[in-house]
Amino acid sequence: MDLRPHHFILWGLFIAAMLLMPELVSKGTLRTMIFACYLAMFAISWDILSGRTGYISFGHPFLIGIGAYTTAILTRRYGFPVEASIPIAVVVTMFGGLIVLLPALRIKGSYFALVTLAVMELMLQLIPVVRPDLTAGTRGISRLPALTRGAEDGYYLAVGLMLAIALFAWLLMRTRLGTALWAIGMNEESVRGSGLSTTRLKSFAFLVSAAIAGLAGAFYAHHLGAVTPRSIFDVNLLFQIIVACLLGGQAPFLDPSLAHSSWCFCWRTCVRQSALRWSSYGHFWSQFSLRSRDRAGSLSMR
Amino acid sequence: MMQIIVQGLLLSGLYALIAMGFMLIFSIGRTLNLAYGAYIMVGGYMYFWLSQQLGMPQVIGFLGAVSVGALIGLLKHRLIVKPLKGDAVAVEIATLILALITQFALVLIFGDASKILLPLIPGVVTVAGAQVTYNILAATVMSWIIILALYAFVRGTHTGRAMQAVSMDEKGAAISGIDPDRINMITWGISGALGAAGGVFFASYTQLSPQMWLAPVIISVAIVIVGGIGSIIGTLIVAHIIGFLEITVVAVLAPELRGVLTMVLIIGVLIMRPQGLFGREEH
Repeated sequence: MDLRPHHFILWGLFIAAMLLMPELVSKGTLRTMIFACYLAMFAISWDILSGRTGYISFGHPFLIGIGAYTTAILTRRYGFPVEASIPIAVVVTMFGGLIVLLPALRIKGSYFALVTLAVMELMLQLIPVVRPDLTAGTRGISRLPALTRGAEDGYYLAVGLMLAIALFAWLLMRTRLGTALWAIGMNEESVRGSGLSTTRLKSFAFLVSAAIAGLAGAFYAHHLGAVTPRSIFDVNLLFQIIVACLLGGQAPFLDPSLAHSSWCFCWRTCVRQSALRWSSYGHFWSQFSLRSRDRAGSLSMR
Repeated sequence: MMQIIVQGLLLSGLYALIAMGFMLIFSIGRTLNLAYGAYIMVGGYMYFWLSQQLGMPQVIGFLGAVSVGALIGLLKHRLIVKPLKGDAVAVEIATLILALITQFALVLIFGDASKILLPLIPGVVTVAGAQVTYNILAATVMSWIIILALYAFVRGTHTGRAMQAVSMDEKGAAISGIDPDRINMITWGISGALGAAGGVFFASYTQLSPQMWLAPVIISVAIVIVGGIGSIIGTLIVAHIIGFLEITVVAVLAPELRGVLTMVLIIGVLIMRPQGLFGREEH
């Protein structure tokens, strides 16, 4: 991708606007923005795994959930400090990424999408059953230690985290590695034909994606203050992630000309997602989440 | 023991019906039609609305549900599948989103609380020492009638054979004078009707809720893939394997584990043997 000065100017403006946001908007809107930031992180993670390599994962909440649940269990049940539990959550999620990787070594396309969907559904059903003393079953774990106080601090944390992850993903995708991942999405056979190990490339993409998902998931859990199986291993979250990616225009099957700019992607994800939520969709969504029974997560955000 | 066999047979018949409609679409377009869940939901809710909220006869409720399912199937083919022709990933995502939109719409109309469908036919009968409600018995019998009718249709009529031909080789079928577009359309319609019918029975078996669609969809996709694409017999066999597995788990181990082993089986088979157990060779 060619970098032109106006890209940097636009991005400078965008970051400045994001940082000024708490001065401009109400607390309630700020909470929506926080969610948009986390959604952007999830979307970046999904994009590294699925948008790049073409292995469409319908089970991304699986990875996010592992991160969220690990930190929740460690802090609430074993009294770990947050500084230790979040890195552990990232590492554990990377193991989760390996689980998703296993089917990707053998199957692709619809089959892979289906397996990941089944993995997510399995997790939803498994969490309440296995060690309910740790996971508190369907009720979920609540009263997680908060990282920040008030909406403003939480917002700055989310924005900072999102920008850091976006920068990391962008730099990564500019390397030869990123190009190779991109090529896998185009034509896996010819990548193998040109002497690259697709297995190694795929493992790399899945691990990075899982690490980001785990990191974002862990922070997200602390932001919400509670995790329940229904609120995490949920098709709705997956839906939002995928829609964010589609609107962001990163996914290769929509528009290849937009596809190259990670920057553009992140910006659009964030802004459009927020804009959508404020307008008609926002009404729709708030109706929906207010009515939902065990959707503790969404409720506490509002 | 008897209880397990009877219950297993009943549940498997239901799964087989739901999987049938999915199998038709998957064998024709190799499309992972996740919006199949939308038919299940819409069928169940339509029946609920017509027969319980408006108080119409059950037959009308059922016919209404089936025709709305067929209509949605046709619309989906027209508006989503045809314009996105060939782009499997886009179709998958579009159908997933459609299923979710249906879910949101149903929540807005009917609320989020689960609803109990009145039994299709009230009463309980004892079959070989097992207590079986007439409701589930009726659902299974109807499922089998529909499955057999479908089998006769696919094997016996010209349109049915054309459907098979298109699923094997679309170009070849077109050369021998079959209009693949028309056949595709018919298949989508039938699939929608089957899904809606399955939805009515499934809802009367469990309950009606906006989240009810995902598990049956995953199960039916898995039944189809494991059973082999395009094989009605394979679909039937695998539907019985999964049905019996679930009933056995509930009876022997623990009710909470019901879905868990099914998912494990699905994931395992998909990874080990993605071509399915009884499917024809794929190229």
